Amino acid sequence: MERKRSIRRRPKPPFERLKDHCRAFTAFMFSNVGITFLVVLYIIGGSFMFIAIEKPYDQSRRETSKLVRNETILKLWEILFENDNMFNYASFNETVEKILLDYQNTYTERQRKGVTEDVSGKNENSTQWTFSGGFLYCLTVITTIGYGNITPSTELGKIATIFYAIIGMPLFLLYLSNIGDILAKSFKWIYAKCCLCRVCPNIARRRLAREKHKEKLRQNGDFPSESGGTDSGSISSYENDSEIEMEIMKNPQDITVPIPICVAIMIGYILLGAFIFDAWEGWGLLDSSYFCFISLSSIGLGDFSPAMALKIEPKEGQDEKDVGIRNVDLSFIFCSVYLLLGMALIAMCFNLMQEQVMHKLAVLKACSKQCFKCKRQTKKVEEQVQAQPEAKLQEKEKSVSAKTSTSFFPTASSHSHE
Amino acid sequence: MNRQRSSVRSSRGSNSTSNGSDPREKFKDCCRKFAVFMCTQVGVGALIISYALIGALIFEAIEGKANNTEIVTINETRRILVSELWEVVEDYNTLNTTAFIVRVNDLLFNYQLNFTESVKRGYEQKPPGEIWTYPASLMFCLSVFSMIGYGNIVPKTKWGKVLTMVYATFGIPLYILYFVSMGKVLASTFKWVYTWMHDCSNDSGNANSSEEGSSLQLPKTKKKIIVPSTACLWVISIYIAGGTVMFAEWENWSYTNSAYFVSTSLCKIGFGDFNVGKTRFIEKNGTMIADLNDSSAENHSKLVINFIFILFGMALVAMCYILMREEVREKYREIKEDTKMCMEDVSAKFAKCFGTTNIDDEYEEKYF
Repeated sequence: MERKRSIRRRPKPPFERLKDHCRAFTAFMFSNVGITFLVVLYIIGGSFMFIAIEKPYDQSRRETSKLVRNETILKLWEILFENDNMFNYASFNETVEKILLDYQNTYTERQRKGVTEDVSGKNENSTQWTFSGGFLYCLTVITTIGYGNITPSTELGKIATIFYAIIGMPLFLLYLSNIGDILAKSFKWIYAKCCLCRVCPNIARRRLAREKHKEKLRQNGDFPSESGGTDSGSISSYENDSEIEMEIMKNPQDITVPIPICVAIMIGYILLGAFIFDAWEGWGLLDSSYFCFISLSSIGLGDFSPAMALKIEPKEGQDEKDVGIRNVDLSFIFCSVYLLLGMALIAMCFNLMQEQVMHKLAVLKACSKQCFKCKRQTKKVEEQVQAQPEAKLQEKEKSVSAKTSTSFFPTASSHSHE
Repeated sequence: MNRQRSSVRSSRGSNSTSNGSDPREKFKDCCRKFAVFMCTQVGVGALIISYALIGALIFEAIEGKANNTEIVTINETRRILVSELWEVVEDYNTLNTTAFIVRVNDLLFNYQLNFTESVKRGYEQKPPGEIWTYPASLMFCLSVFSMIGYGNIVPKTKWGKVLTMVYATFGIPLYILYFVSMGKVLASTFKWVYTWMHDCSNDSGNANSSEEGSSLQLPKTKKKIIVPSTACLWVISIYIAGGTVMFAEWENWSYTNSAYFVSTSLCKIGFGDFNVGKTRFIEKNGTMIADLNDSSAENHSKLVINFIFILFGMALVAMCYILMREEVREKYREIKEDTKMCMEDVSAKFAKCFGTTNIDDEYEEKYF
């Protein structure tokens, strides 16, 4: 607010201007950079907290993976030698299939809950709750995406999640609105400078003059002879020089960015993400764009989650495994940055679109208000015309309801009354 | 339409009763308000519910028909495994436990690798026709447009994914509309109830004082009352506690898990590690199919109740948000006034220090 007010004053002494700039800079640092740092710090702190809470339990749960398999084997053994149906293939088939189905179901359930099975059998002590995993978990909590690929399994972790979300979500909303605002402002500035050619005042002046000229031609459609030829453009430009000057000097924050551009930006961002994730994770283009959309709209179904494919990759050899883990880390970080930036970008787009919609709504409201006023006037007129027969009145009402724009009606009725 | 009708009614009224415009105006106002209420709040609620119902129908039709090829392959591998086990039994039918265990362990491990891969490719325990029942797809629609995204049910087909994106694009703004308008209605209702209670308590407190005095005081207090945030928090925590108890009883979850489920749902996080109407077969793994058949109707009603619970809970959250925002704004205004006073003081001192009238003018222009 302050900044807006301080723009476009008459020239000040340089010392004052410097002070203004300093003030704006400190405000910027505190409000925007500060909030970004706060969010990042909050996420980092949260990830350490959740790692501390969850990691011991996660490792113990991982060990049970082997236990389940051993149990299944023992069950098979018992079935084989306690029920002496060793030579009956049909019954053997039935019982064994049941056991295997059990085994399979427990494992799929575990996998869906986020226990990555020790596919290679080697990285037994690798856990989801690395720093990057925790970071992504905290991010999904405060952005309310909630993929569900990493979830807390201890009681303490669950309670901590609830409180972490209660504090973190308003913080993230604050970040979104702040950064969205900043991005909207800078985007508007860029739009004003580049797309409306405000960089070079001469071009802008000529363009505006042309536009004005066209408008004038449209307005004075009756006198085409007067404003014909090339010199009339220059005349009009001279005429409206002060106006054009005003237009050029106008605050770039006052212009509105058209909605299609905002939509194009959003779609472009999603497509960009889709290409990158396609290259990175090896999903198809459709699946990647589906993932980007679901993530950025904070739905987060979780059927695709970042670094999913890379977890399986380290199958043979220590070196490959290291590479894989590094890749996973990179992917996590890239995904976090993509999400943080993308949500701010979407907030920006909504900011810009909201302005446009508000503007249109205000116009619509004014229109409807006028219509409403007229209707009230007609009613009053009707009340005055009580002496007239009822049939006529009803006819009039019908005409009122039939007319979409009743602005002409009061004058007409008053004429008839007179 | 409504407006026209009301105007007709009012004109008839004017014919029958020549004077007394005040009650007529009042009646008209009432009618108009009612129409507006119906069109905005109830209309939005009905719109969102019908949107969900239609979406559920569409998703059920699209996803229910799709056949999951992974199930067939997994069944095939299981059959192969069984025959392999049979061979193992034939080989080691002596009491050679260790050799048996080693062989079976290898086989099971291979099998595990197979199906973990296929789970990643989208294997589900049940065929899609059983997963995408109508209530389940209703919950899916809710989780998409309310941005919860449980992820217990996800579209597998290409068209399902595209449709989900389109559905979310139109559904989310609609949901936000619902969120805001229901929040407003609930906030005004809650405010009214709160002021009413406040008045009642005041009345009982000032019962001894004269009636005139209390009636004079009341309008004053009515204007200034801002519902404190603690009241909102009480309401929301009671709602969460109710949900916690309900789900804990139904699903046999512990209270912590249940509270975790309810609060992550209402915060729109929706991890999906707990799901309503799914626990039955986790508990009794062996008799999974029979159990599902038994309790399917119950599960469906649970899902529908869950749907209503979450939709209403979201409106409650919106109410709390609006009321708390009001309070925060009030406080913010106070703080702003304070800082303004401070700034005035500082600027006056500044002007004194520099002693130039020019700067003083600038400051006056800027701050006053």
